[in-house]
Amino acid sequence: MKVVVTIRSGRELIKGGIELSDSATVADLQEAIHKRTKKYYPSRQRLTLPIPSGSKEKPTVLHYKKSLKEYTDGNGDTLTVVFKDLGPQVKYSTLFFWEYLGPLILYPVFYYYPVYRFFGYKGERVIHPVQTYALYYWCFHYFKRIMETFFVHRFSHATSPLSNVFRNCAYYWSFGAFVAYYVNHPLYTPVNDLQMKIGFGFGLLCQIANFYCHILLRNLRGADSGGGYQIPRGFLFNIVTCANYTTEIYQWLGFNIATQTVAGYVFMVVAASIMTNWALAKHRRLKKLFDGREGRPRYPRRWIILPPFL
Amino acid sequence: MAGFFSIFRRIYLTIYNWTVFIGWLQVFYLSVKTLKESGHEHVYAAVEKPLLWAQSAALLEILHGLIGLVRSPVSATLPQISSRLYVAWGILWSFPEIRTHFLVSSLVISWSITEIIRYSFFGLKEAFGSAPSWLLWLRYSTFLIMYPTGISSEVGLIYNALPYMKESLKYSISMPNKWNFSFDYYYLALGVLGIYVPGSPHLYGYMLGQRKKALAKAKRE
Repeated sequence: MKVVVTIRSGRELIKGGIELSDSATVADLQEAIHKRTKKYYPSRQRLTLPIPSGSKEKPTVLHYKKSLKEYTDGNGDTLTVVFKDLGPQVKYSTLFFWEYLGPLILYPVFYYYPVYRFFGYKGERVIHPVQTYALYYWCFHYFKRIMETFFVHRFSHATSPLSNVFRNCAYYWSFGAFVAYYVNHPLYTPVNDLQMKIGFGFGLLCQIANFYCHILLRNLRGADSGGGYQIPRGFLFNIVTCANYTTEIYQWLGFNIATQTVAGYVFMVVAASIMTNWALAKHRRLKKLFDGREGRPRYPRRWIILPPFL
Repeated sequence: MAGFFSIFRRIYLTIYNWTVFIGWLQVFYLSVKTLKESGHEHVYAAVEKPLLWAQSAALLEILHGLIGLVRSPVSATLPQISSRLYVAWGILWSFPEIRTHFLVSSLVISWSITEIIRYSFFGLKEAFGSAPSWLLWLRYSTFLIMYPTGISSEVGLIYNALPYMKESLKYSISMPNKWNFSFDYYYLALGVLGIYVPGSPHLYGYMLGQRKKALAKAKRE
């Protein structure tokens, strides 16, 4: 079969189109485009069916596992697809590794090295026990995240735009330095012993719960499953849609109870608001998908992210 | 109900625009009068009340955008209004030492000319449904000169206030304290100056685009 590949303006990307076998899949087409253009590797391509001019509806995105025949609409000989360059892509594991590496390295720099001399503090620095425990807690958290990235998470999308690496690194690295600056400050005022123990104890409990939530989410998505949504069940997922975010937010609350810095609370609020947006979107999606009609299960009544508030 | 809301909206916006217009007219008149009679050192003292009042009234514009009373995007309104409020309250009102600087005059005159044209344009548009073409042209053309003079004055005044910020430690919080927080107003000002560098050309470009669109639309009509 012949596939005509155009860009959105209507101009042909590959002159004369591409000849493929009748059993070819979208993935085969993407490989063929890559072979012909060199620059556009498969994860950089977004292929859609053309939509009539003036139409407001969203175009159908071609799924890489499906056969091209499924998109030919009965006319089996030719197919026209619209190509969009998604720009340079990186693997999600690469993105997460670099964004989490920053805080993991930057925080100990503020703890171990005399960086505060550059900020005008000349005196001897007394390190409080809470600052040491905070270092362990912080490093454990980001080490855990990196390990989960490589050994636990299964991603619904293989890649992410390269620009996200810079954006996410800016977010994590700057907030990492911001929190580290205040928690390790020579003029830091520690909280009482009981508050510290409650904070770190609660936080650690939430980190373990967070890890278990990630294991449950991993098991929802089989190694060979092509994404797709399922109703998360078990443990905290029986009461909260995004229990992984719940435990993430509450473990930062634990850290902040123990360290008591405005910077830490600012980080927590910003992170919570970002995760709340994601959670609301996911909750809406799951409710829409599992509506109880045509044999589909009905999505159970649950908190979205922050029981007992939301 | 929709009809009542539409009438109420028009009446409210007409009153709002003409009230703020009067405020800026007062600022312009007093600044020019003082400049001629007593020199630039006395301009701020003469215009302080109407200037702070008229500039603070612009906060309502953000609210108008948020609740959908006007179409202008909050993303475009917010940086302009917040930077002006910062200069009016956070610099001029907070640091009396720089009120006698000659840049205060250029700032106040640039702001007031721009706002007199803008608020009268919107005032006429809300009251009568349209504004004269010459006013439309002024609305979208005076910024070509007023924007660079205004921005330069803002940057100059922030820069001149830096030593006084460092010296007085005004609005600054230092450690140790219970919440382990420190804040240095001096560094905030440096940050603001840093934002002005990429922000000004971006905003100028945005306004040039708006000008092109508005004047092309007026030509068609």
